[in-house]
Amino acid sequence: MIQLDHVTKSYGTKTAVSDLCLDIGPGELFAFLGPNGAGKTTTIKMMCGLLFPTSGTVRIGGFDMVREGEKARPLLSYVPDQPFLYEKLTGREFLQFISDMYGLPPEYGQERIATVIRQFNLEAFVDDLTERYSHGMRQRTVFASALVHEPKVLIVDEPTVGLDPYSVRQFKDLMRQQAQQGTTVFLSSHSLDVVEELADRMAIINYGKLVGCGTLESLRNQAAVDGSLEKIFLTLTLPDDLRSEVV
Amino acid sequence: MNIPLDTVLTASPRQPVNQFALFNRLRQNLFKNAWSEFRGSSVVRPITILISSIIVITFVFGLSLGGFYFFIFEMKMPPHGFIIEMLVGLLFFSLGVLLVFSGGLILHGSLFSAAETAFLLSKPVDADQVFAYKFQGAIAFSSWAFLLVGGPILIAYALMAGVPWYFYLALPLFFLGFVLLPGSLGAILCFLLVNYLPKQRKQLLILAIVVLLVAVAAWIYYVVRENRALTRSIEPLSEAATQLINRISFARSVWLPSGWVARGLLAAARGDLLSSLYYLALVWSNGLMLYLVAAWTSTHLYRRGFNRVSTGGDIRRKHGGAWLDRGLSLLLPFVDPGTRLLIIKDFRTFRRDPQQFGQVLLLSGMLILYFSNIKRMFVRDIEWPFQNGISLLNLIAVGLLMSAYTGRFIYPLLSLEGRKFWLLGLLPLSRDQLMWGKFTFSMMGTTLLASLLMVVSDVMLEMPFEAMIVHLVTILVLAAGLSALAVGVGALLPNFRESDPSKIAVGFGGTLNLIISLGYLVVTIGLMAGPWHLFLATVPNPEEMTSIFFYPVVAFGLFCGSCLGVITVLLSINLGIRALNRMEF
Repeated sequence: MIQLDHVTKSYGTKTAVSDLCLDIGPGELFAFLGPNGAGKTTTIKMMCGLLFPTSGTVRIGGFDMVREGEKARPLLSYVPDQPFLYEKLTGREFLQFISDMYGLPPEYGQERIATVIRQFNLEAFVDDLTERYSHGMRQRTVFASALVHEPKVLIVDEPTVGLDPYSVRQFKDLMRQQAQQGTTVFLSSHSLDVVEELADRMAIINYGKLVGCGTLESLRNQAAVDGSLEKIFLTLTLPDDLRSEVV
Repeated sequence: MNIPLDTVLTASPRQPVNQFALFNRLRQNLFKNAWSEFRGSSVVRPITILISSIIVITFVFGLSLGGFYFFIFEMKMPPHGFIIEMLVGLLFFSLGVLLVFSGGLILHGSLFSAAETAFLLSKPVDADQVFAYKFQGAIAFSSWAFLLVGGPILIAYALMAGVPWYFYLALPLFFLGFVLLPGSLGAILCFLLVNYLPKQRKQLLILAIVVLLVAVAAWIYYVVRENRALTRSIEPLSEAATQLINRISFARSVWLPSGWVARGLLAAARGDLLSSLYYLALVWSNGLMLYLVAAWTSTHLYRRGFNRVSTGGDIRRKHGGAWLDRGLSLLLPFVDPGTRLLIIKDFRTFRRDPQQFGQVLLLSGMLILYFSNIKRMFVRDIEWPFQNGISLLNLIAVGLLMSAYTGRFIYPLLSLEGRKFWLLGLLPLSRDQLMWGKFTFSMMGTTLLASLLMVVSDVMLEMPFEAMIVHLVTILVLAAGLSALAVGVGALLPNFRESDPSKIAVGFGGTLNLIISLGYLVVTIGLMAGPWHLFLATVPNPEEMTSIFFYPVVAFGLFCGSCLGVITVLLSINLGIRALNRMEF
């Protein structure tokens, strides 16, 4: 469903992502990890067609994101770390806009909107302008909008930042449910406990290069350490001198 | 989990999307909600906006009415003749040039920097549809002033010339068709620059400096040569006027859109409906054609340009220019270190935002171009009183630029701090220092820029040295008052919800600030420079005049203007400080 084939992305003279290869299947919940500035957001933006790879190919549902972006984009939903909402639209109008944008037939669109409103408990504020929403209300509305058209690929960047424990629980259930329904979930996060609990497979990126990829067990073998995901992550990403101090 | 790809891809029902209608609905919803909020707000707001608009329209209308009365009834110019056509052409040409740059700058911001753009480009919408949606917004935003100024001027002409009824109908149609041309040109230039401008900033800067130096050298050579020629042969007034007309008659050229509008409107004024319709069709067909080219360019270059803007420089680019900050710091020895840091922070934010300094450079550049051309048009050709009057008009033009600068860039400063105010609030600085810091920042920038423009104008017009002193003192008092007003009103009526400074500037507080600033501008210039210019108008030769400071009215005017400046600064800043101290963050 998501294929990154030897993808490299340069910013001027600096390489943000180097020769990255990933192949993620339908219904898989895939976590993408890395320290700050490792190239996670750049990779995600290439998957959404916002940035073009300097070399290599990104495919979504088999479509090349650069040459066939118009076929690939309807399949995916992207929830960025700083999501956008139109301040002068109500939550319901925003959901309607997304439904229309993805071409859902009117009746089916209404049905879907009602479903996500229920699913994310938006009833109390969905008819208020979004400029009055709190952070949690905004996050829930953005997630609802990301799922209203039933995407085949859901890309989520730092989803749990600023959410209360109940909302985090809801989020985890939702991700699992989406994957079970066949949606490919690509999750970028620093919350290693959430990732450890949810992900089928995970990749760790450092300085733009893939340093580990697979299931938790497989990553333990690659890092040659036993223990939690945190220990594996630190082993694979810290420089030698720091690693001996921390791990 | 192993799910076949085909099953996943054909899961939910879809229908074709009319993206044009989709964006129209979005715009309608946004407008409807903004309108109902506007209606629900206090009546003070709409009334202030209405009164402000009426003041501006009445002022421009009254001035134009007087001007056209003078041309048509005093100077006996034919109301549908060549000169009026040329003036209309010149109006559209100047506004068109302004629209190319301001439209391009606004589009650059909304197409490549806005959060909405990244959101839309990650969705299944075509690049040209996103462009069309943003283009309409940018053009509406950059051309409202065009309508506010151009509309009253042409209606004043229509009333003086006694035109048929369909002139009034043709007017908005010509306006709308015309704005498509500079707007589309600005958009095409924006796409080309974003996609093909070299990435190496240092090389680009060197190239720009070389081009600028060559242009300045060529201009100096041209002006000196022309000045020598003029000195050798003092031409009669009529010949000079003919020369002036020849120089600006390009604006009604049949090859320029401004010429089509001028010819079309004058044809409507004459009652030649067919010719008017021909030029209207010419304007619209070319406007729509150029818009299509812009839309076609966007399909090919928008996403590519977005990628280039996002990743054009190095991933962690080092921002230079520390020498500029050090230079500014050296100019502020009288300010305490904490306030100085705040001033330098505001300066850094300003100089790193091309949208902000680009607009200041554009307007200042146009004024310098105009001042430098004034010399070629009037010196030695037109009598002294005219020269005196033009220098006063130039002072007003600089004052208007100062008021636009403080309204557009200084007024929003405090509102922009809003969401991160806790950071400043935690610093060991009082809120008084914050206000004085913003005032000093504004005062310095405004004084430097305006003084430079005024000196250029006075040197070009060969005004007496004392004129320069009166003008510079007036500029100083204007800079102080306008800066204090912008900072004070900014603290009294902040807008913490909006993050776009241009939208903050056109909101309620921004409009109120603009009106108060314009009033202050008129009174200050009237008090400080007005009496002196009136005296000069009665003197046949300025060299015969004794020092201006011996005239009690002039000295009293300067004194009163300075007092007004001091009162405005103290009142505005203190009211602002009180409002700021009451605020919770």
